[in-house]
Parts: sequence; C-alpha cells; structure tokens
Amino acid sequence: MGNSAETLEREEKLQGIGTSRLRKEDARFIRGQGTYVDDIKLPGMLFGAMVRSPYAHANIKSINKAKALAVPGVVAVLVADDLKPVNLAWMPTVGGDVQAVLADKKVCFQMQEVAMVIASDRYAAADGAAAVEVEYEELPAIVDPHKSMAADAPIIRPDIADKTEVGHGPRTHPNHIFTWEAGDKAATDAVFAKAEVTVREEILNPRVHPCPLETCGCVASFNKPTGELTVHVTSQIPHLFRTVLAMLSGIAESKIRVIGGDVGGGFGNKVPIYPGYVVAVVASIVTGVPIKWIESRIENISTTGFARDYHGIGELAATRDGRITGLRFTALADHGAFNSHVSATKLPAGLFSICTGSYDIPTAYCRVDAVYTNKAPGGVAYRCSLRVTEAVYLIERMIDVLAQKLNIDKAEIRRRNFVKKEQFPYTTAFGWTLDSGNYHPALEKALKAVDYEGLRREQAEKRAKGELMGIGVCTFTEIVGAGPTKVCDILGIGLFDSCEIRVHPTGSVIARLGTMSTGQGHATTYAQIIATELGLPSEDIQIEEGDTDKAPYGAGTWGSRSTPVSGAATARCARKIMEKAKKIAAHLLEVGEGDLEWEVDRFKVKGNPSQVKTMKEVCMASHTSNIPAGMEQGLNAVDYYDPPNLTFPFGAYVCVVDIDRYTGEVKVRRFYALDDCGTRINPMIIEGQIHGGLTEAFAVAMGQQIPFDESGNHLGNSLMDYFLPTSVETPKWETDFTVTPSPHHPLGAKGVAESPHVGGIPCFSNAVVDAFAHLGVTHMDMPYTSFRVWQQCKALGISTRT
Amino acid sequence: MKVQIEKVFAMPASAELSWQFLQDIAAVAACMPGAKITERLDDTHYKGAVSVKVGPATMSFRGDIEVRELDAATRTLRLIGKGSDTTGTSGASIDLTARVEAAEGGASNLVGKSEASVSGKAAAFGGRMMNSVADQILKQFAANFAARVELLKASQAGAAPVASPPPAQHELNGLALFWSILKDWLSGVFSKKHG
Repeated sequence: MGNSAETLEREEKLQGIGTSRLRKEDARFIRGQGTYVDDIKLPGMLFGAMVRSPYAHANIKSINKAKALAVPGVVAVLVADDLKPVNLAWMPTVGGDVQAVLADKKVCFQMQEVAMVIASDRYAAADGAAAVEVEYEELPAIVDPHKSMAADAPIIRPDIADKTEVGHGPRTHPNHIFTWEAGDKAATDAVFAKAEVTVREEILNPRVHPCPLETCGCVASFNKPTGELTVHVTSQIPHLFRTVLAMLSGIAESKIRVIGGDVGGGFGNKVPIYPGYVVAVVASIVTGVPIKWIESRIENISTTGFARDYHGIGELAATRDGRITGLRFTALADHGAFNSHVSATKLPAGLFSICTGSYDIPTAYCRVDAVYTNKAPGGVAYRCSLRVTEAVYLIERMIDVLAQKLNIDKAEIRRRNFVKKEQFPYTTAFGWTLDSGNYHPALEKALKAVDYEGLRREQAEKRAKGELMGIGVCTFTEIVGAGPTKVCDILGIGLFDSCEIRVHPTGSVIARLGTMSTGQGHATTYAQIIATELGLPSEDIQIEEGDTDKAPYGAGTWGSRSTPVSGAATARCARKIMEKAKKIAAHLLEVGEGDLEWEVDRFKVKGNPSQVKTMKEVCMASHTSNIPAGMEQGLNAVDYYDPPNLTFPFGAYVCVVDIDRYTGEVKVRRFYALDDCGTRINPMIIEGQIHGGLTEAFAVAMGQQIPFDESGNHLGNSLMDYFLPTSVETPKWETDFTVTPSPHHPLGAKGVAESPHVGGIPCFSNAVVDAFAHLGVTHMDMPYTSFRVWQQCKALGISTRT
Repeated sequence: MKVQIEKVFAMPASAELSWQFLQDIAAVAACMPGAKITERLDDTHYKGAVSVKVGPATMSFRGDIEVRELDAATRTLRLIGKGSDTTGTSGASIDLTARVEAAEGGASNLVGKSEASVSGKAAAFGGRMMNSVADQILKQFAANFAARVELLKASQAGAAPVASPPPAQHELNGLALFWSILKDWLSGVFSKKHG
C-alpha cells in the first residue's frame, strides 16, 4: 500500500460506503423544486373528481348524470357502465381478488368510488361531482370482523359469492377470504398440553393509515395517433404498475410509460393500483387529452392503503424458569371490502410467520383468517413488509406477558430465550433462516446505555409512592428485502431487482434501478455504493429510478427492500464493470491481471507502485481502440439480482414513560434505539430513517386509529381527528448501533427503514403496560391516548386523589 | 351514527288545535329550521329538503318523506324520512313519532320521539355533535310549532290576524346553532357542578 494519509484522502473524496454524505436530492426539495405528480401540467389537461358513496353498504338504484353534465366546464361523467365496453369496470388486485373500479350496482364501503367527473378545471370537476345524483338503497353493514362469518351475515360481495376461492385456497363463507396456517399444529398443541406454564392474551393492532404527506394521484396521457400511454403517478412500484396497466388495458407494455417522479412518502400506501388511476387512464383514452386526478386528504385516509386491523390472540408455553417451549398465534384479519392486500401467491398473510422473533422457540404454529367487512380495501401499508409489525408486536408483547406471569425481569427473559450467536444461520420453527444476528451484546449495550438496573430501582421507589413509571424493552428481529423469487412474487412476477450502470469516457456514471425512492435518499446512497466499488467520486454518479422507459425492470421500493435487493444488484453490477476494467488496466500496463492490486480508485502493479492506472484513465481507454483484442468498447453492465434469502436486521430498544394517573397522560421520558442493519452505507441517512420510523411508531402507539361507527361511517378521516405527530409531541430519539453483516448480501447490508417502526410500537406498548404491571395489568390495546390510559387508571381505582 | 331523542314540548293551545296543525305535513315541515316540502306526491308521500350551513359549508339534504301513521284517536303521527345531501357525500334518515297530549288549562304537549342516523361526511365531521345539534333543531322546531299553533288559535278565535310573520324560511344558521349548543353545554356543565 502507498502513503496511507494520501490514500485516505482519496477515499474520502469518493464519498463512498460508510460516509454520511449529505442527501443529494435535498437541494431541490428544500427549495421547493421537487416535481411531484401535481406539479405536472400538460397542454389541454382535464381534471377528474370522484363521486363517492356516503354509505358503507348500499345498492345503487340509479345514477343521474344530467345535472352534472350541465355544470359549466364538465366534459364527461364516467360510471361503471361506461367502463364495461372496455372491460375495465373491475380490475384484479395485488391480493388475488378483483375490485370494482367504479361501483357496479352496489357499494361495499363508505367513500367507495361511484363515478368520475371530468372537467376543464378542478373547481368545475368538484362542482360536477356534487351534481351527480345517485340513488342508494342502504344495506346493513358489517364493521366488526368477528361478525363477518356469522351464518346470517349480509353478503358483502355477491360478485364472488359462488367462488370457492379468491386466490388463496378454499373459502368457507361468502365473506371469507382465506385461512392460512404455518408450523406444526399437532406438535404445538402437544407442547401446550404438557407445558409447565402457559399464557394467553388477546391483542389488537387497530386499523391505522400511514398518511403520507403527498396524497395519491396521477396524470394519464394517451396519444391517439401513436397509441402510446404515459402515466405520471405516485407509485412505489412503477414497473409492476406498467405491467398491470398493460394487462388491464390491452395496450402493449412497450407502449406504456410509467413515470414516478418525486414521491412525497409512500410507506406502502402507494403500492396498490387505485380505481382513480384506472378511470383517469380510460378517460384519457376516450378524450384523447391528458387527465389529472389527485386525491384530497380525506379521500387518501378513507380509501387508500391502510394498515393492520389484525385481531390477534397470542399464546406461549414455557418452563417455570422462563424458557419458551411453544408458540401459538392466531389472527383475524379485516381486509375490508376487496382483498387488495399485497401478498405473495404462496404467502397470503405475508411474512406473519416471522412471529418467533429473536427467540429460539422449538415448536410453533400460527393461523390467519382473513375476512371481508364494509371498510375500505388496501394495504399492506405502513413501513412494514407484509404483517411483520403485527407478528413482532405479538411476540414482543407476549414475552412480556410471560415475564410478568413468571415474575422474571423483562430483559432477563429475553436473554434466556435469544437465538445465540453460534446458532446462526438459524432456521426458525416456521422455516425462515435468520441470516445473521448477535442479540446478547446488543441488548447488554442498550441496557447499559440507559442504566436499566437504575431505572428498575427508580421504578420500585415510584411504585412505593403510588406513581406510575414504565420501562419498555423490545428486542425485535425484522425480515426485509423481499425476496427470493421462489418464495416471493406479486401477481406471479418474482421480486428480483435490478441495476444498470453506464460509465462515461470521462469517468462519470449514470445508474438506473428498478426501485423507486419515495424519500429514502436513493440518489445519495446508491451512488455511494458505486463510488466505493468503482473508485469514482459519488458526486459524478447520477441515479435514476421510476421512469419505466429508462430503468431496468424491478419490483420497486417497499418492505425495506431497496438496499437488500437493488443495493446488491448495484454492487454486483459494479463488480462486472470492475472485472472488465481490470482487464483493460492489465492491458494498458502490459501485465497480467494477477499482477494488479486495487487501491481506492486505481490499479497498481504489485511491487512497482509507480505503475498505476486510475479508474478514470481506464474509463477513457475503454472507449478507445487501446483495449484487449476482441473486447467490446465501453464500461457498461446490467445486473438482475434474485436474493438467495431475505435479510434479518434486528434491534434492542428501551423506552421509559411516566404516566399521570389522574389525567392518563403518558410522557415519554426516554427512548433509546439500537439498530443492527449490517453494513452501514450512509450512517446519516440510516439515522434519519430511524427517526422517521420511531416517530411513526410513536404515532401508532399513542394516537392513531381509524374508527368506524356501527353503520360503517368513517369517524376519523381528516387531520382534525387523525393524529400526525409534529415536533411538539415527538420525543427525543437516542440512536445507537451494532454491525452484524449479512453473510449473503454482497455488501453485508440489510434493510433498515422498517425496523424502528416495527420495533418501536411494541416498545411503547411494553413501557405503558409495564407502568401498570405491578397492579396486575398484562395488556392494554393501542392507542394510548390520555383518555384510554385514564380509563385504565379509573378501572384500577387509582385515578382520584384520596 | 345513530341518535335517539325523546322530548316533550308544551304548546300554548288545545290538544285539538295542536293535532289539527300536526296533520298539515307541509306546515309542520316548515317549522323545521331550514326544511321545506318541495313536492307532494300523494297524501302520505312527499319530497322534502333541509339545508344546514356551518361556516362556509352548506349541506343540503333532499329526500323522501313517508307518513306511516296518522291516528286521530291517539293524535299520533309517525313519519319516516330518508335522504342524502346534494353532494352525495352524506346520508340521513329519521324515524319520528309525534303525539299530542292534552295538558292542564286547555294547553297541550307535543311528545316527540325520534331515531335519526347520519352517514358520510355528516357523521365523520358532525357525529360527535349530533346530540347537541339535534337538540337545538328540535328546540327551534318546537318554538316555531308553538308560534304557528298560536297563530292558528288566534285566527280560529276570529281575532284579527296577528301580524307576526310565519317562521322565516332560511337555512339553519350554523353560527347561531353553534352558539346555542355552546350555551346549553356550558349551562349543563355548571348545573352539574352545582347540582
């Protein structure tokens, strides 16, 4: 090696892996110069506004367009019957079901799409939508999923009432979607039957919504002479979106161009294909001009990708000294009126079977029953890859319940059950192979950082004085980076991902990927990977995603899959270029490849350090005739990566809360989050992701819920009611890390953005419940609003001064 | 979102007179603030409209009214109303039973029992205030009803027609409504404290 200070300086200039490079995209965002879908203005563009159902369940007796068509500026009113000639009144969902694009004879949830009014401007469209007369005949609605499968329950979906399955196995009731199970039921039942101790708890993950800053919307533009369709859309999955549009419309996929642009937050809310998009496409095909359709906030919260609505029952069997011997989790899943939950064909309940968590549990069984109700479809949203939040919530709550039952400390019971370092790669009772982990040191580091013993002493003193203080511990394991195509698909398409790199003669680079940034900072981090791999400065590396005409095919960004899948594709793609570059360098230096060594940004001849070719020199040479005989010019490559396994990031969180027993107010005194996501590409961006995920975890635990009344009326679909924490409410976050690389990822990296959400929610719950643990409370359902917590205090008789 | 209300309002006229007025559906509807009968289909079926203004937003409900029962022996009227607002974002229905009872001193009582339900925006935004709003609407209704009955009494007594105008046909005023709800709520809070 040469002069190490000089080498370090060169390395620093690259701004590669491991540096907290500032986000490249922020320059335009903080200047208000991002291009979101609503910024797109095309000549002659018309606007669409949706007419929606006020009822959760009703027959449509008639729709009268006359008054709407008379509104100045209104061009057309589209209803289901108008979509039938083009065979688009119904569309397939990403959950294997079908969904009404516009309500066909009946509505099945409140705010369901009934008609779209197309007009010359937004105001005219809204006026027109208000003038469409729809006559409804109200029907009894099912709001409680426990009542969906009752013998006399109203049938929500007559269109599929006769079908014996809707994509995921046999149905036993017209309102039944699927029943899915995993693990060994008989063996688990046997373990429970002879267990020294068992615990059981009913645990609800209420219906919530990620509420991204930007609502959903699109501009569809069909060019009649060329037959080409361009759709600007707020989508996390532009390529799959294009495929679905091609399947739906019959337009050749090569003639469809989907452009993601800047997207203001996704969190899973922007994975499904919504009716508004389809109607806008049809309207553009019919009118021959571009159609813009943008949701209002209320429409976004009421009708698009929600999260959770999982009614779980957790059971653990254990020995008297707290060693878990068996796990039995079941859940009733409320999917709303159409099953548009994103799910792999083989995994209708997603990755729920990760519910054994970080623990070495020999025997386990889980079962999920999904049913229809008269609520909006969508999901699976909210910073969670397919039911992982629900699974982790159950195990992290249940291990606390077990600790309380056995009177074992909540950190200690985790130590006793952790999968040990030497057991990795560890295969769970459900068959997942946890790639790497090192749980004990992570927990000890966290406990030391917060002085756990000191906190427990303080808690004992406070309890003696009648004060409520809770300490929540959560040691979660996540499952991200879907995924191996043999297990994971959407509509049959495997969840591989891609990267294409083109190196220019002067050594600058453009790379295009199949993922789609919705705020994750991809333009910054992917460039860092290439910078380190190729020894070219990240500043000169352009990243492009989301335009299906330009980027290679990929499954998009969701479920923390960008780094585990496309990050790997990027590294592999760069390595293909590196191989070629090395051949060129050897040719230029007139030595064998084996005589070369790589140093930051250049090839050096071993033992002769003055003989050097920088990567930039090789880039130029690759475009000349001075390359090995028979070699093609250029330094370009493309890589499609099918990961051999998912990645399993983990963390150890501690939360301390103080609760006012007279008002029920919960104050988060401290929140410490240690995350291990393997190799860290940009520590600053990781920390930002963790802050965001923890804030969303706080939102879910402390205030978010979508309530309905008994008729299926939405009671919280505006920001008057729906809790979005601001910096005023949000606690201060303390972040920390350990690094346990993934053995199968080319960089050792795992995903991270979901972890703080998935691990944060149970940590808050564990803290709140822990505050009441000495009074015999084992579980309280979220959200922990002051009123709810006060009700708990009242029930315990501690809410009034004596 | 359902709400059930039972109320008794004193009427300054005999039971006969109150009953006579109660049977005039269009006139009774006009007593409801912001409401009117827009079309009479037959003796028992009408079309009507109600509009409520809250701040800049106006909600106009239109719908069908069906008289289910009109029983002179018990002086009972039962009607069902069902409608949706003109923007199609809210729905409302009401099942109302009104009965006239004789009271002391030649006066009478109007005994009302209703179950109302709303859906859509009205439920999402207005649900938590529905009881109070319904209370206020009924109070204004009873006041208008009493005024009309008094007018009827005066005209039947042969007296010169009183110059007082019929209840104004305007939208239910949101601000005034809000104020009276607030006033009632405050008095409720204080009466509880002192009670």
